[in-house]
Amino acid sequence: MSRDFHWLPNIPNIRKMNAFKRDKKEDEDGSNQFQNLEKTTVLQEARTFNDTPVNPRKCAHILTKILYLLNQGEQLGTTEATETFFAMTKLFQSRDVVLRRLVYLGIKELSSIAEDVIIVTSSLTKDMTGKEDLYRAAAIRALCTITDGAMLAAIERYMKQAIVDRSAAVSSAALVSSLHLTTVSGDVARRWANEAQEALNSDNVMVQYHALGVLYQARKSDKHAVIKLVAKLMRSSPKSSYAACMLIRMACKLVEEVDEGSEFLEFIESCIRHKSEMVVYEAAHALVNLGRSGTREIASAVSVLQLFSGSPKPTLRFAAVRTLNKVAMSHPAAVIACNLDLENLITDSNRSIATLAITTLLKTGAESSVDRLMKQIATFVSEISDEFKVVVVQAIRALCQKFPRKHAVLMNFLAAMLRDEGGLEYKAAIVDTIIAVMEGNVEAKEAGLAHLCEFIEDCEHTSLAVRILHLLGQEGPTSKQPSRYIRFIYNRVILESASVRAAAVTALAHFAAACPALLPNILVLLSRCQLDFDDEVRDRATYYCTILQQNADPAILPLVQPPQLSIPSLERALRNYVRSPMDEEFDISQIPPAQAIEEPAQEVLATVKPQQPRLTREENFMEKLLQVPELSAIIHDSILFKSSTVFELTESETEYNVKCIKHCFSDYLILQFDCLNTLSDQFLEDVRVTVDNQDIYTIVCEVPCVRLPYNELGSTYTVLKFPEDIQSTIITLPTTLRFIAHDCDPSTGIPDAEQGYGDEYTLEDLEITVRDQVRGTGSRNVDFSSSWENAATRGFVTTEQIFGLGANVTTLEEAIQSLVMFLGLEPVERSDRIKSGARQHTLLLTGVFRGGKEVLARAKLVLTNHVTMQFTVRSQDLEVAELMISSVG
Amino acid sequence: MLALINRILDWFKSLFWKEEMELTLVGLQYSGKTTFVNVIASGNFNEDMIPTVGFNMRKITKGNVTIKVWDIGGQPRFRSMWERYCRGVNAIVYMVDAADPDKIEASRNELHNLLDKPQLAGIPVLVLGNKRDLPKAYNEDKLIDRMNLSAILDREICCYIISCKEKHNIDITLQWLIAHSKSGVR
Repeated sequence: MSRDFHWLPNIPNIRKMNAFKRDKKEDEDGSNQFQNLEKTTVLQEARTFNDTPVNPRKCAHILTKILYLLNQGEQLGTTEATETFFAMTKLFQSRDVVLRRLVYLGIKELSSIAEDVIIVTSSLTKDMTGKEDLYRAAAIRALCTITDGAMLAAIERYMKQAIVDRSAAVSSAALVSSLHLTTVSGDVARRWANEAQEALNSDNVMVQYHALGVLYQARKSDKHAVIKLVAKLMRSSPKSSYAACMLIRMACKLVEEVDEGSEFLEFIESCIRHKSEMVVYEAAHALVNLGRSGTREIASAVSVLQLFSGSPKPTLRFAAVRTLNKVAMSHPAAVIACNLDLENLITDSNRSIATLAITTLLKTGAESSVDRLMKQIATFVSEISDEFKVVVVQAIRALCQKFPRKHAVLMNFLAAMLRDEGGLEYKAAIVDTIIAVMEGNVEAKEAGLAHLCEFIEDCEHTSLAVRILHLLGQEGPTSKQPSRYIRFIYNRVILESASVRAAAVTALAHFAAACPALLPNILVLLSRCQLDFDDEVRDRATYYCTILQQNADPAILPLVQPPQLSIPSLERALRNYVRSPMDEEFDISQIPPAQAIEEPAQEVLATVKPQQPRLTREENFMEKLLQVPELSAIIHDSILFKSSTVFELTESETEYNVKCIKHCFSDYLILQFDCLNTLSDQFLEDVRVTVDNQDIYTIVCEVPCVRLPYNELGSTYTVLKFPEDIQSTIITLPTTLRFIAHDCDPSTGIPDAEQGYGDEYTLEDLEITVRDQVRGTGSRNVDFSSSWENAATRGFVTTEQIFGLGANVTTLEEAIQSLVMFLGLEPVERSDRIKSGARQHTLLLTGVFRGGKEVLARAKLVLTNHVTMQFTVRSQDLEVAELMISSVG
Repeated sequence: MLALINRILDWFKSLFWKEEMELTLVGLQYSGKTTFVNVIASGNFNEDMIPTVGFNMRKITKGNVTIKVWDIGGQPRFRSMWERYCRGVNAIVYMVDAADPDKIEASRNELHNLLDKPQLAGIPVLVLGNKRDLPKAYNEDKLIDRMNLSAILDREICCYIISCKEKHNIDITLQWLIAHSKSGVR
């Protein structure tokens, strides 16, 4: 074998072979020769690149070390990277194939750090057009990483040639690189679409797939062009399975977006009979995930997945069972048909498949099978990876919601899992699930708290310990025997890190505030905490001690749980207050609450919670609004009360696309219109949206958008002043988009003529609702009943009325949902969750009307054939209370 | 079989008589650097050239001397990188468009800037005034004067007027280069 190599001219290759053999031997010894590399030493060695003649073997080795370091996350400075990069360019003199290909890799790695990387442009274009096939594709990929907007024109010709090259590798590399280049220049894909169109006819499966990718990129922003592309390819059906899969995805997107998508849906369905398994799977996957598919489509997809789940190929089984697992959440009934096949997979030698099979069965199975299945999982839960353990935990969470009676079995199982080894994400998922079970089921609370207490005794994750301590502080005081938790919490103060100690101090204070019997003992504990060597722990202990010692004063105690206000808004309000004469008391109710993370109730995937954003949505908008001088003059010392969600004033496929956000201030309403011009041959000026004020609102000012070129988002604003009469604020206002249009050349965007013409475009009506003017208070643990009772003493007025809700509301859940949606008030004391099967329910709501007027509301709901509601509103302002009542009617 | 023997023979020859030299070719854009490399490598003159974006690396064998040429782009954005490729070479060849009086001054400044770099001290410089075939091209004396070459005293410096198109003076240029293959500063 090695004798044959002697006749080959490329001697370094043999050396490489030998080196490779040696490496292999070292690997067998178990040592990694790259393990203890020093960055500075390696960069020093890189100077060898400048030597003549080049020693390819040595240089290849050094270059490998550099690449290894970079891939281990080592950071190079600009100077270091530039020096190394230029030394590396000297290696272009060597004709060693291995070395050259390593140089390409080096160029790609350093292209974003080193300076003047365009120096290798010419060398790379030479390689990509040269005769050596081993170079060409790799050179294209390297070239695109060093190309900036200014250099793009220089390589355009070569790229176009490469796209239509006969070699599939070259063509693919060029196509994929053009996709990457769209980040450098947006219209690359469009400019090279003709070549991509030609490549689409290639016989090579990859080229066809990549060409389709480029064509889609080129038309992405133009929905009609996408429709045309997909429709055409649907008829001819691409030879490449990859392209077919992509086509299915594109079709899916169209089905979701376009109203008349039945032909696309039919196409996806027809792909279920494709000869390639990959395409069949993609189609089935698409069908079950499409919001629009009905039972029939899902059934056909599920039967395909069922077939796959019996396949001898593990990948197919895995894909099928994973998808079935997902479908089981939305369409459990459709998956039941596969239960027999899934049972067979429980004993699959691939643990991932087995896990998914069991968790799917848990979702679809009957209550009676839960115990058996849980026992099955327990046998191998220690053998599967964290990622799949999380899947199991999520399945258990879903089970708890479905079968509340099984909570004891499941809770024990979770507690056992909590004791096992596992990463943060896994542990967090378990804790989340335990908390969710406790929230949904009062009986589970004591057991859950006990498990969590046991867990924090030996918990290495600070974030989880802090969360659990917080939960104990919230829930512990209302349990049957609060005192039993004190020891667990105080142990943390003795044993843990500063942040955990601080959380434990807060939890202790909550107990003391809620349980007068424990107060003296906790004060002793807290006074010990005042000697802590960490500032935060000491500060908290001192704060709580001071508050708790004045426990006679009912106004002080709630400060144990101060409201979570938005700090930047509070700062701005206080600054304005200090500037004012300070005659009135500072009104803290004007301050919006810090944004709470909104968790959709059905979402069971949330595990590790994202960091709380520093600014709320409103604050982000406020900063943007303040940057507009005309608006800033009106609102600079007021607070943005609430911003509505974004809603569209146009159909999504019209020439001009207008979206609106309503920003509510205490006296003003700012309408922000985000406009998009989708006509490439038009250039708009002086764009504004005129609102027909119906003589009720006063239009304070309009801020037009001066220029609106094709495909760029521009904003125009209209400021309205609320009318004095609160009742008449609820209104529907017709709107019109007005602008001066210039026809222009679509490719350059330069207007054809100086003079434009005025035009207008009717938009949909704009509704101003109660919801826009009301927001929740953001404090989760308001003691509703005491505020309700005390309301009269604080000068609140009460209005009340009984309603029979319409025929379209048939359940209590629907009634609650629509009421909360409509009024914008926030449900408190978890009164928006109802016991299953309940026939009556009381919903408690709080909120603030713009101008800081507090609103409390109570809705007593009774379900007979339809829902009857007794709705009581208490507010400082009679008009507000009446508005609430009348808008429900 | 014959080819194989020839190859082995070549290999032996190169072991004993092979000489290598490395030179860097710089100068303003459109002075004819890449054209010059093509001419000395293959004897082909091609008028239809595109600007060099970055550098070209060429190896040219003349007799028993292998010349490695780093041909660096002359556009302003590449000029700061010339120095990196001039370090440690046997000679720097500086190309000037002898028929473009408007650019002579810029060319002179760039040359003197480059030679002021301490890293490049002592490296021999060959200044070539290209495009002699065009009317109004400078002659040697005029070019030496306009390029202020007499001010360069710390190294060997030489100036030829050549024409890549008519292959004029290419031979003496090559002779000069080959003569400097051993005398470099390395």
